[in-house]
Amino acid sequence: MADILTLVFRTFMSQTGLQKDLSAAPPPPTARSALLVGEPNISRSVLLLAAVTAASEAGMRVIFFSQTQIQSLPASLPIFFFLLLKKIRFSYPRTVEELLQQVASLHEPTNTSPTPPSLIIVDRLESFLRAPGEQSCAAHLCALLCDTAAFLTHILGQQSSSAAPCRVLASFQSEVDPGQRGGEASATQPVLDVLDRYFLVRYTLDRDTGYEATAAGLQEIWHIYLSGSGVTEVSGAKDCEDTPAVAQDRSLDVLLELDPSIKGGTQSLKSKFLLSQKVF
Amino acid sequence: MMSLKFVFGPCALQALDLVDRHSVTCLSSPSGRKAFQVMGGSGCLYTCFVSCHYCPCPAFAYTVLCRNEGLLCKHILAIYLCQAMGVTQQASVSDQQMSLLLSETAAPWHRNVWCCVQQVDQCPQVHRNSMDPTPC
Repeated sequence: MADILTLVFRTFMSQTGLQKDLSAAPPPPTARSALLVGEPNISRSVLLLAAVTAASEAGMRVIFFSQTQIQSLPASLPIFFFLLLKKIRFSYPRTVEELLQQVASLHEPTNTSPTPPSLIIVDRLESFLRAPGEQSCAAHLCALLCDTAAFLTHILGQQSSSAAPCRVLASFQSEVDPGQRGGEASATQPVLDVLDRYFLVRYTLDRDTGYEATAAGLQEIWHIYLSGSGVTEVSGAKDCEDTPAVAQDRSLDVLLELDPSIKGGTQSLKSKFLLSQKVF
Repeated sequence: MMSLKFVFGPCALQALDLVDRHSVTCLSSPSGRKAFQVMGGSGCLYTCFVSCHYCPCPAFAYTVLCRNEGLLCKHILAIYLCQAMGVTQQASVSDQQMSLLLSETAAPWHRNVWCCVQQVDQCPQVHRNSMDPTPC
């Protein structure tokens, strides 16, 4: 999944000298599930861009689950992106039960022919997990998503030996300010702990509210923290097979130019990505 | 045996008991989707996934998810043991039945494959209303 998000960031990378090589930054593509944690608007924008990028660059069939209908799309997207929307199926389950039923039925022939989906996106998991007993419900939903992706990977592999695995991408809004690392646990932390069991990579999106960002006017800086057991450092040694991969947290600083004409719904992530890699 | 108990604690013996009772069934549908169904000690049926750990039983919710004190529950361990020993039962269901089993969120108070297809008259045990929390 992380390779899709890397493609999203690379697609909109700045042409300035601040451009960095992303090849060493992302987690290995074997991490098939990723969780976005951050503000709903920015997370939804990233999810939409991931869906469009996957459909256009990788030719993937995408299914996008959201509790709330998408009212508008970023106007700054190139026009051909809208033609790709037919490769993306939007579904709006109202409850977690409906979402479970729809995900559980993805194995049925009506959903796998002619080509099964290769990217499953779920927007705002927290909106589905508000009922009591949410930890068990969260585990059920995440396990179903992962098991479904594993099954669809098997189907894709049968159709083509070189087919990429089916991936899962979800967003979750935590009640804790993501910038306050090591802060007090919130009411959503138990659910996040469960999500971390099934999503191997977490992207935490944190807006920079420092003076520099404010003084920049329309431009905002977003910090993207990568964490989870799926984030590993690949050894460059010749005997790297004997060297165990070590999980490391990473940080990316992303400079975003916001389009002030977009109100509500999604915000533009167009252009001017400033990337610097920090390894914790 | 000692190794199992050392790694998994008390649930190792409970899992072996489930294995002895042939409590694990692998369900398959025409689409190729598979799932495991485990008959618990109290007669409750639990549907577990093939590729990742999840069980709707109270022990998994409390010990594994909430307390993070265990790797898995006895039902999931019984699945692994049955597979290793080649004593997993096999059963077929339709694609729609499989979807229903994978998505059900209600308490699994005795609902087996036959009940899911509403063929209550073929259910080998007494069928209760799915909302009745009292186990059979």
